[in-house]
Amino acid sequence: MAVQQTASAPRPTARRTIRWQHMITERLLDLLLVVLIFLMIAPIIFLIVSSFKTSNEFISATGGFFPAEWQFGNYPELWQQANFGTYFWNSMIICTITTFIATAFASLTGYALSRFRFPGADVYGLGVLGTQLIPGTLFFIPLYLSFVWVRNNLGIPLIGTNLGGILLYVGFYIPISLWLLRGFFAAIPVDLEEQAMVDGATRFRAFWQIVLPLAMPGIVSAGIYIFLTAWDELFFASVLQIRTIPFGLLLFSGVQSAQNRYELICAGAVLATLPIMVLFLLLQRRLVEGLTAGAVK
Amino acid sequence: MAAEHISMTLRTPSLLRRIWQNRIAYIFIAPAVCMMLIVHIAPTIQALYMSLLDLRQTTLRLYLRAPFVGFEHYQDILGGLIFGTGGANIRGLSQAIDNSLWFTLWLNVGTLVIGLVFALLLNRQFIGRGLARSLVLLPWVIPSFVTGIIWRYIWLQQGGLANRILVDWLGIINQPIQWLLLENTRWALLIPAIWRNVPFAALLLLAGLQVIPTDLYEAARVDGANGWQRFRYITLPFLKPIIGLQIMFGVVFNLFGFGPYNIATSMFGSTNHGTYAELLIPAIVRQTFTNQLYGYGAAASVLMMGLAMGFVALWYWVFRDALTAQ
Repeated sequence: MAVQQTASAPRPTARRTIRWQHMITERLLDLLLVVLIFLMIAPIIFLIVSSFKTSNEFISATGGFFPAEWQFGNYPELWQQANFGTYFWNSMIICTITTFIATAFASLTGYALSRFRFPGADVYGLGVLGTQLIPGTLFFIPLYLSFVWVRNNLGIPLIGTNLGGILLYVGFYIPISLWLLRGFFAAIPVDLEEQAMVDGATRFRAFWQIVLPLAMPGIVSAGIYIFLTAWDELFFASVLQIRTIPFGLLLFSGVQSAQNRYELICAGAVLATLPIMVLFLLLQRRLVEGLTAGAVK
Repeated sequence: MAAEHISMTLRTPSLLRRIWQNRIAYIFIAPAVCMMLIVHIAPTIQALYMSLLDLRQTTLRLYLRAPFVGFEHYQDILGGLIFGTGGANIRGLSQAIDNSLWFTLWLNVGTLVIGLVFALLLNRQFIGRGLARSLVLLPWVIPSFVTGIIWRYIWLQQGGLANRILVDWLGIINQPIQWLLLENTRWALLIPAIWRNVPFAALLLLAGLQVIPTDLYEAARVDGANGWQRFRYITLPFLKPIIGLQIMFGVVFNLFGFGPYNIATSMFGSTNHGTYAELLIPAIVRQTFTNQLYGYGAAASVLMMGLAMGFVALWYWVFRDALTAQ
């Protein structure tokens, strides 16, 4: 650095051209970034504007990018025709309950793994990772057949109901939550809870009142991740015939009367994205920090 | 003798004793273990046994008492794949493996290259950096089934955005392209998948770039290293663990996970994705659940699990230096 400065100091014009070149490259890079960002969000804008078009405008080869007249009526029409309220409600119930139970169970487990060296801890940790290598198609075959058997023989409705979905999703998402949460519990110092236990608190109380609040940022980011992933689950829902939004929209786009109503399906897709977009915008920073923390460290 | 025995137990408590000492830990992990037993472990053990049975629609009532056929499914599948024999199912599986390998390779290359470009562009000082980062991350929040719906209409032959831009607005080509036909479906599936994978890769790589000490670049500049050399010898080695992680995610989520399944199913509007776009998971799903060949599907899934384990071993071997250097 020092060498370069003394060398170029007597020639101010050369230094100025270098600075100019630098500035021009920077502005060109800015421009490139703007173009690339536009390409990334253009499909999203396309979806939104398309949901306000008419059927004819949608497939016309002469219409503009934006609708000639914004058809706000598409949304109420979709809500009625597709029975969208039911899908929405099912998705909300299943994803919310799944998120709470899965992160709660994973928090208890993550805490135990970070505080106790109990026999079997290593095997269990490996098992949790191992579940991620089991293809969904493998464990789901007997699970599906068992669900059918339970419905037929015990009368517990696990097919086509939210109950079956919640049972499956809680189990399915526990390993991922645990994987995301483990580091957070390990990073919390033990001194605080030891102090509390010396003062007479039980182990569970120390966990509940001291460790849990400290781990909350991690739990929230794991929870959002689970919610986003469960919201997007199509395969299990379609085999179990659970009318969540992904499966409901797939069914709706196959219905004869709706097949050419592209704008209604677009409106459904917008409505499906809206809640998680709000969740994401509210908690973006926390989610991003939680997900990248482990990777960079 | 007795004294020696006591001192032994004090040094290394017996297993039962250690279990008893840690009883609270087992209470803490019990709920999660129960759920994993129900959803993962018990079904997986059943499925391993099922892959040895001729369990199909007609024998479904017998469940685990269906006719035992040993390793027949495995023989059929592996033999069929290696020697090119076998029925329509095996040929479908073989084509799906080809498709999956092509798809996974280009998905990872595309995601890493574009993600790196975004990360490098975002890792500079400029006004509105936070906003730019949020906008880049946006497609990651779009659910994959919505991604499928969006691109179904982008690829629409009549009035779809891709053809409107290429034919009507830019005039690069004369005839609208039928994107969702034959070989074109490969690209029609690959591009949305890259679109949805780039944001998270960019985010990870950006986080990796931000921990590289800037004085390294200064020192290299003094020593006369040009931009490419600084990238090649400083940036890339620092990013190696992140790139390894991204490849792991990219393969596990896209080759063995359901991301592309959701995109393709919503994009084609059915679980039949056609010859050129049907990947391994969708092929196994279709043959197992639509054609109701449960024993055969279990065997195919077990073989795929073997493939996944092989991949993880290979991945670990390639990236072990970068991982332990941390």
